[in-house]
Amino acid sequence: MSARTSSRPLAARRLWAVGLTAAVAVTAGCSAPGGESSTPAADASEGAAAGETAGAPTCGTEPVTMSGYFETGFPLPKALADEFTEQHPNVTWDIREDQFAVITQNAPRVLADNPPDLMRLPQMSELAQDGLLLNLDGYAEALGWDQWPASQLQQMRVGDDGARGEGSLYANGLNFSMTGVFYNKQLAEQVGMTEPPQTLADLDALLQSAKDAGITPIAQFNGGATGGLAFPLQNLMAAYGDAGEINDWIFNKDGASIETEANLQGAAHLQEWIDKGFFASDVNSLDYATMMSRFIGGQSLLMFNGDWESGNLDKQMPGNAGFFLMPPAEAGGKQATMSAPLTYGIAAEAEHADCAAFFLDWVATDETARTIAVEVGGSHPMGPADAFMPAVEEGTVTAETLAAGGKIGEDNGAMDFIANATGSIYAKSWTPNLQKMVGGQQTPEGLLQAVQADYESELG
Amino acid sequence: MTTPTATSAVGGAAPTSGSRSAGPERPTRRPRRSGRGRWVGWLFVAPAFLVYAVFVLRPMAVSVQYSLYEWNGVAASTFVGLRNYANLFTDSTLYGSILNAFQLIVFFSFVPVTLGLLIATSIRQIAASKLAVVARTVLFLPQVIPLVAAGMVWSWLLSSTGFVNQALSWIGLGDVTRAWLGDFTFALPAVGVIGAWVLLGLCTLLLLSGITKIDPSLYEAARLDGAGPVREFFAITLPSLRQEIGVCVTVTVIAALASFDIIYISTQGGPGNETMVPGLQIYYLAFADREIGQASALGVALMVLVLAVVLPIQWLTKERDR
Amino acid sequence: MIVNRREAFVGRALLVLLMLITLVPFVSLFVTALHPSGTYPLGISWPASPQWGNFAAAFQAADMGALLLSSALIVVGVVPASLLLGTMAGYAFGNLRMRGHRAVFLLFVLGLTLPFEGILTPLYFQIRDLGLLNTRWAIILPLIGLFMPFSVLWMRAHFVNVPGELSEAASVDGASTWQQFWRIQVPLATPALTSLGILLFLWTWNQFLLAIVLVDDASKRTMAGALGAFQGQYGTDIPLLCAGAVLILAPTLAVFLIFQRRFVAALLQGSVKG
Repeated sequence: MSARTSSRPLAARRLWAVGLTAAVAVTAGCSAPGGESSTPAADASEGAAAGETAGAPTCGTEPVTMSGYFETGFPLPKALADEFTEQHPNVTWDIREDQFAVITQNAPRVLADNPPDLMRLPQMSELAQDGLLLNLDGYAEALGWDQWPASQLQQMRVGDDGARGEGSLYANGLNFSMTGVFYNKQLAEQVGMTEPPQTLADLDALLQSAKDAGITPIAQFNGGATGGLAFPLQNLMAAYGDAGEINDWIFNKDGASIETEANLQGAAHLQEWIDKGFFASDVNSLDYATMMSRFIGGQSLLMFNGDWESGNLDKQMPGNAGFFLMPPAEAGGKQATMSAPLTYGIAAEAEHADCAAFFLDWVATDETARTIAVEVGGSHPMGPADAFMPAVEEGTVTAETLAAGGKIGEDNGAMDFIANATGSIYAKSWTPNLQKMVGGQQTPEGLLQAVQADYESELG
Repeated sequence: MTTPTATSAVGGAAPTSGSRSAGPERPTRRPRRSGRGRWVGWLFVAPAFLVYAVFVLRPMAVSVQYSLYEWNGVAASTFVGLRNYANLFTDSTLYGSILNAFQLIVFFSFVPVTLGLLIATSIRQIAASKLAVVARTVLFLPQVIPLVAAGMVWSWLLSSTGFVNQALSWIGLGDVTRAWLGDFTFALPAVGVIGAWVLLGLCTLLLLSGITKIDPSLYEAARLDGAGPVREFFAITLPSLRQEIGVCVTVTVIAALASFDIIYISTQGGPGNETMVPGLQIYYLAFADREIGQASALGVALMVLVLAVVLPIQWLTKERDR
Repeated sequence: MIVNRREAFVGRALLVLLMLITLVPFVSLFVTALHPSGTYPLGISWPASPQWGNFAAAFQAADMGALLLSSALIVVGVVPASLLLGTMAGYAFGNLRMRGHRAVFLLFVLGLTLPFEGILTPLYFQIRDLGLLNTRWAIILPLIGLFMPFSVLWMRAHFVNVPGELSEAASVDGASTWQQFWRIQVPLATPALTSLGILLFLWTWNQFLLAIVLVDDASKRTMAGALGAFQGQYGTDIPLLCAGAVLILAPTLAVFLIFQRRFVAALLQGSVKG
């Protein structure tokens, strides 16, 4: 018994020692989070825009390995990177790829903690505000990007308040893509389509005739984390209303709302399409790749998609793919559609920012690069208005989409994508609510209300 | 992810059953040691404890701390008290994910344990046969592969053109075919089926190994009394398997509440938020939405929830042995 | 008895059915992997001309050599350390039983049911501040910590059952605790250690969450994490994806089939010891 009591203090001390170790380890994290850790925000937001003082950036002559974070399934960035290495052999690439939804999830932490030199960007206003993206104003001036048509870069400008559309430049495009409606020419003939629909009513009739002929009218993806019905939805909203108002909402202009009369008409129209069975019955589990394979395989008449697929379609279904812009509600009305740069940015902490900027400039100005942008990418290249344009073969869908770009320019109908309004509006709001609409669990009014509520809560 | 926690949770049963058998020895070798011996004991524990403290206990404590702040992981943080916890009760996507996890328990836990009991009972008599030996290996396959792989294969099987629909058409049920993982009514059960597939083999074999330890004379006696298979099951099998059932339920319940891999791969929480679970929600909150505080609050809630569910199960199924 | 025979038949039928259900996904995976790359095969159907070349293509695309090496390195980092630390602590808790050990032991028990997601967020920032993001240490160190409760409990359960006379005899011989541990206790614990080693190997190899959050570079991940990245990159090509998945599963399945007796025993024990 005495042995026991005498050993107690000793044992207690040991316990204390162990406990203390734990306590030290535990309290190590007791200051407010974010308080002491050095962040890229501090460096980037105060610092002058990169490249401002030095002359035009280059890749130098020393061997450089550029780290890239690209989007899976699109050959353009890799094709450009390969050609760049061809012309500048000292530059090699270390490229990681993910699907766009995954890039969206990863963007903040990759930019902060593993900064790539060149990265495919999701919605970027928060990334820019938090100082994760390099301010490109200096490069823009040094490289003459400010001489390009202003509309090309507008979507990549972020103001101090986080609203997009004006302010400093935080990204550049590999090309300038445009969306609309692709159709299968063979199937179109089969259901009696002789010319692209001129009004929304024409389009409805076309869809119905496809349905009657036992063909799935529209191939569209809407599964997992990617609500692809946002494509037809926005086209429908713009057919009823004003593209500028939708853009204001996307750019977070003060007082902008998605809950407008025209947008409601558009959403109700989409609901009608769903109810009439114009989409595949498994639309809620279709991913992008499956949609492409079905459209190419001739299982669907139409597909709402972008001209980034033009090159691919010309190769996989040569002569059989056509393109038209979403028709207006009334004959002869203005046409509008989503049109956006294929956005690539440079991390604030990127190791080879100069080389990345040089690359982005090369993409827009080099003749081979511009040819690749059109032939592989299918879309209009970035850069000066009078720059070299590669010849495009008549009758290809690439030629059709490029021509449609002119019409949108005339009508001033280019819009950014509603999925880009805030960082998580697509994954958290549009996608689940559009999926619910398909599942009969959401109404057109409810859809817009829910999205507007999430939009406001996110913008605070 | 579920595999480690799942089976490690089971380990909860290991020390208890161990110490039970060791019970009588304990007094004989208790305080024989000198002060120095005890001192050495702590040296033996220290390295393990250090790693554990730094990589588990510290993050646990920091989780609680983060949960009281609003922080985007980059800029400065704001103290918000318990607001992040209040949100768990008012934000339907947050508490919805917890409710979904509880629904998954039906598939991850109830189905494998019930089916496992049924199967184990029916194959009791052939437990030593060649077929059963082969079955042991086969049934363990789902436990050996990563859950991600299970999720991938099953998303393919359950797709509109997958084998499940093919098989349904064969047996004349072409009308019910659908894209299971994209259907509002069936997405969560479909995910549940994946979990059940992973866990059924384990449960069956666990229960079977328990059954083979039951004294056969008990069954013989019951047969002589004229008991049918049903009475046999309730009078002998079920009570004797209490502990194994407890283990199965514990493992599978944790697998359900802490599910991540399967859902990340197969549905990403969709359609709508039908298959959103806390694990995936934490991942999205922390890394896509950059709401570190909210993510941590949900993390703390999940840890507490698991304990709150598992402790009673452990307690209930241990009672008999006392 | 007739009743018995009928029951045995029902049992066999059930068992076969259960095995079929277990195997169908594997068959589907394998058959789909043989279809021409880029197609969308319907259900389970044998391709007109099996594309065995898909496996070679996937091997290259997935960079399997590097993946195997990476997973092996991570396992080497996790398993021996966990075994050593777990055994030492288990010995102290099960055999030495110094005063106050219960309190600390309870702390370990607390970690048993911990869902990894619960500490994921702080762990990310901790690893970042240590400068370990995107290295294999980012998976190795946390895993050792996370597996520690199970390892300690497992080994304690073993040592608790070792007769006390053994260590007493050794004490009389004048062996120090340390010598006693290495010369007598550890060799006796070999079966328990082997089983624990198998379990830890499996859990490390299949770890997904930590890999995708803490390591961006797929070639520094575990097999399961790499599979996630492979899906990210080739998710658009189902046959190639399936071929890659078959390759990624192959090593574990091979190891499992070779050591299946030990595996099954370990997994069963891992659930209920004894």
